[in-house]
This record gives sequence, structure tokens and C-alpha cells, in this order.
Amino acid sequence: MAIKTILIIEDDRFIGEMYVRSLKKAGYDVDWMVDGNDGLIAARNKAYDLILLDVMLPERRGSDILTALRGGSEDLIPHSKVLVLTNFEQDDESRLAMEKHANGYLIKAEITPSKLLAVIQRLG
Amino acid sequence: MAVARRQAFAKDALPKLKRTATGLITLGQLLFIAGTGALLYFTNIFHVYPEIAVAILLLQAIFGTIIAIAAYHITAQPLKDLMAAIIHTSGEPSAQTPPNPNDSRFAKNGFRDALQMIYALASKAPDTSQKAPAQNATDGTSNPVVAPAQTHSLIEAALNETSCGFVVMNQQRVITFANKAAPVNINQAGASQLSLIFNGNDTLDAWLDECAKTAVHAEHTWVRIPNKLPEEENRRFFDVIASYDKGAESEVVLTLVDRTDQYSAGEQELDFIAFAAHELRGPITVIRGYLDVLQDELKDVLQDDQSELFRRLTVSANRLSGYINNILNTSRYDRRHLKMHLAEASLADIYDTIRDDMNLRASAQNRLLSVEIPADLPHIAADTASLGEVIGNLIDNAIKYSNEGGAINVTTAAKGDLVELSVQDHGIGMPGNVVSNLFQKFYRSHRSRETVAGTGIGLYISKAIVESHGGTINVSSEEGRGSTFTISLPTYQSVADKLKAGDNTNEGMIDHQNGWINNHSMFRG
Repeated sequence: MAIKTILIIEDDRFIGEMYVRSLKKAGYDVDWMVDGNDGLIAARNKAYDLILLDVMLPERRGSDILTALRGGSEDLIPHSKVLVLTNFEQDDESRLAMEKHANGYLIKAEITPSKLLAVIQRLG
Repeated sequence: MAVARRQAFAKDALPKLKRTATGLITLGQLLFIAGTGALLYFTNIFHVYPEIAVAILLLQAIFGTIIAIAAYHITAQPLKDLMAAIIHTSGEPSAQTPPNPNDSRFAKNGFRDALQMIYALASKAPDTSQKAPAQNATDGTSNPVVAPAQTHSLIEAALNETSCGFVVMNQQRVITFANKAAPVNINQAGASQLSLIFNGNDTLDAWLDECAKTAVHAEHTWVRIPNKLPEEENRRFFDVIASYDKGAESEVVLTLVDRTDQYSAGEQELDFIAFAAHELRGPITVIRGYLDVLQDELKDVLQDDQSELFRRLTVSANRLSGYINNILNTSRYDRRHLKMHLAEASLADIYDTIRDDMNLRASAQNRLLSVEIPADLPHIAADTASLGEVIGNLIDNAIKYSNEGGAINVTTAAKGDLVELSVQDHGIGMPGNVVSNLFQKFYRSHRSRETVAGTGIGLYISKAIVESHGGTINVSSEEGRGSTFTISLPTYQSVADKLKAGDNTNEGMIDHQNGWINNHSMFRG
């Protein structure tokens, strides 16, 4: 199943706009949420193919969002893939906990938009 | 051996005493009979009534001997009891039942206190576990004797007053004593265990394993060993001094000097470094990202020299990103927090994650980079992102310390259970005295301080990462001719079992190569 719709949950304006710009240019259908609560609601309301999830977010942290979506007995987003994108140096346990529920975990500083596109293509 | 000799002595003492007593009794009897015989002879009784004289001598011999033997037994009994108690408490095998101090005869002969004293001394000895019967014997006493134990409790109280930790272990590495300051906790099985977080493979257990194989007496010191992870409360730092004495009852003695005050300032510094490095990542993400976007969107309108400027920007941003990773890793390593997540990987795949960046760096600085990594090399157990950073550091150094147009060769070799990767430059090289300091933190040679920029942590952290993989890093260099850095890493096959067993806690996580996305680090660099 090729990825078409993408939800970005990212509070940094520069970084968010950068991803939106290059993903839209590449032909994806992109929604962008800035805070954690809105992000969680958006993820539950629409079956996105892919969610790009930041960790340090206002209102609700990315780890909490992921737990809310996939931590329970039922996977609330069975059709979506999740890529965690963060610059925050998580301790090992938190990181492993997130990796367990995600399809990928990337350091933003190491990922340029073109590399991100390559990753998404291989995910889909 | 000493113990065996002491046991033989204890057992031998009584028969020896018996032999001496028998000799003395026999001699005494002979003298006595000779005396009586002489008396009978000179008083003429022997001549007048020889039958009576013989009867007197006979009776004297019989009764005298009986009385002498009885006297010996009565006077030697308390001695035997004391010996039996000593033999028993020494742990020497013996068929004898240890004397019970509550027996009425000890109250009568006054040896009850002496016996209780022996048992009390034995029960206060450090390895009480082996002397349970001795303790049982004292359990029944109505009047426990504490006086001889005072020295022990005095020392124990004194040890509990100090801020230094003391831990004693027996030959099974079971903790037999730990004072108050010692970082010891009780595990679920109810046994005491040390709570110390050693760095990498340099652990107490590893050292003791080594000692068990090769040493009789040994001592080793670890500095700056925390008892908890960075975020946990009440974290303390110790310098740990271990003494090993093979075969001794207290085979391992640990002395732990609490240096928390001294080291915690450094900790805060490291926290700050980690924090600052995180903050730097935000702007770097934006710079690298927008450069990428702009280069792509402007590729049709940019002139060649402008494209070159963009390349230089990209190379610089990438290098900056690499340095930040070095700083972050160093801070994590120094806080005992650098963890490797080893998974099966091929060097070719690892290099692929940094290939574009390296090519860009080399071409932007006019170096001829040639990389030969055959796809059929044995796989290694690697943390792809970290190892990519190591190779990046080595190539970065090769670029830094060579001249324009110089060739940099990356080659590999499979050697038994090891896979080697070498980065060779034909640059300025180093004299021998520089080589020996090369892997120290913040080390910069006098010359490179003046001519080449750098932080002096690249090789330090590279060595730490390689060693966390169970590998080694080596350098050969000739001044004016260039340097070759070689890393040797164990093949996945040679360490797979160990990894799966989770023996190595620093490398506990194992991912199998069952999907590329599981290895997030493929996209780093």
C-alpha cells in the first residue's frame, strides 16, 4: 500500500514548514498539527497512511500520543504507520518503549527532507 | 594448607596427652612398687611372710593403677570437652558430639563459662554460615556471653561510622559483610548484591573472572563508578578498590571511597553539554533541511560556482552535525550512559549510510577517496549509527591531516573471527610520542593545535565505541608519510551466542536483520 496521506505533528515552525513543503512537492497529501492534543485528535479522526511524530510537543508529548494510540489492547490506528522524528536525546528505556510501537525512529538533525522522502518511499 | 595443619594438630593433641599420662602412671607405679618392695625386703617381712608381701605388692599394683587411671580420666575430662568444642567450632570433621554447656556436670566443674565462651567466639566469626551447628549449641544457653564479641562489634560499629564502603565476599562471590555506606541492595532472591554501574566491559565480575584464572593476589581500582543511573535520586559516585586473595575465606574485599562531591560537579557539566548539544540540533536540522530543499529547487538556475558554494555549506553543516554527535556520545560515555544496540550488519551497509556525505566531503576538499568494501565480507555485530560515526571520524581525520589532491584509501580484510577496516591517508603523519597519546580525551598534538581545527574528542569517542563493540582500534603512522587507522570488529557469528544470552548488559539489545526499518540508524549521517 503506497503512502499518500501524511500527518505531521511538529511544533517547530521552521521544521514543520520544511517537511510540509518538500512532502507536498513530492505529491503527498499532508496535514500538519502543532500541538500534541490536536495531533492526537487528528490521528484518530482520519486514517492517515503515515504519521510523523515529534516527541517534545506542547500539551501532550509524542510518547503519550503513541501510547494513547497503540499502547492499549486495541491498535487505534491499524492503517497508519508511525515514524518518530526527534532531536531530543531520550533515555534508552523511553526510546525503546516508543520504538516498540513505531515503524521507525529517526533523529531530525540527521534527516534531510530528501532522505525523509527516501525513507517514506521504502516504508510504503 | 594452614587450616589443614591446624586441624591435624587439634586432633593429635589428646592421644599425645594420653600417651604421656600412661607413661607417667606406669613409671609412678613402678617406682611405688619398687619402694614398697624395698621396704618389705628391709623390714624382713618379705622373708617371714613372702605370700603376704607378694599379695601386698600385687594389690598395690592393681589398685594403684586403677586409682591413677580414674584420676587421669576425671581431671582430663574438662580438657577433652574443651578440645571437642574447639574441634567442633573449627569445622573439623569429627564423630564426637559437641559438649553441651548446659550439662549439669559443667555447672559442677565450673567449665560452663569457658565452653560458652568458645561457642560465642565461634558464632561471632565472619563466616557464621558455615558454623551453624555451633550457633545452635549456643541457642539454648540461658546466659549468652557477649564479652569476647566486643572487638567484632566495635569494628563493625566503627566501619558503619565511616563514609567509605566496605564489602567482603567469600569464594562463591557471596557478600558476607557490607557496612552501612556500601552500595548494596537485596535482590528478589533475598541475597545481597552490589549496586554499581561499571563502565562497559571493565566490570568487577570480569576482573574477578580474570583473577580466578590467573592471579593469586591482585588489586584493581575503578574510578567514578556510580551506583545509579543519571536520572535516579541519591546517585553516588565511588572509587572502588578491590583486593583479591585466592582461596582466602574473604577472597574479595572491596573498599569504596565516596567521591560524590568531587564528581557531581563534573556531572552537571556533562548534563549541560548534553543539553546544549540537543539545543544545537534544532538549528542544524533547519540548516541541513533547507540547504537540501534549496539545492533541489534551485538546481536548474544555479551556476556551477554557486552550486559549489551550496556543497560547501552542506559539507560544513554535516560536519557540524557529526561533531555534535561526538560531543553527545562523549558526554553519554563519560556518564556511563553510552549504549550500543548491536545487530547483525555488514560493513558495506554501514558505509552506505555515510557514503554520500563522505564523497561530498572528500570532493569538496579535493581529496581522492577510494573505498573498497566487498559485499561478501562476514557480517559483524554493530550499532550501525555509532559505527558510521566512527568511520566518518576516521575519514574526516584523514582529510584534515592530508594535503589537497591526496588519496585516502578505505580497505577491509577478514581475519578469522575479526573483520578489519583501515583508513589510510598519505598526509603529514605523526611521530611516535603523538601516537601514544592519540586516543586520550581532548588530546591535540602541539603541531595540530596550531594548524588544524578540532576538538580532540573524535578518536577518544571512536575508541570507546569500537571497544563497546568488543573490537580494537590501532594506528600506524610515519611522519611525513601518512597514517593508517585500523578498526577490528568481531564477526557476528563469533559473538551471536553471547549477544543472545544477553551476557553483555551494555550490549543487551539485539535486533535481527529482519526488516530494514527496524534499524532506524540506517538513515543517519
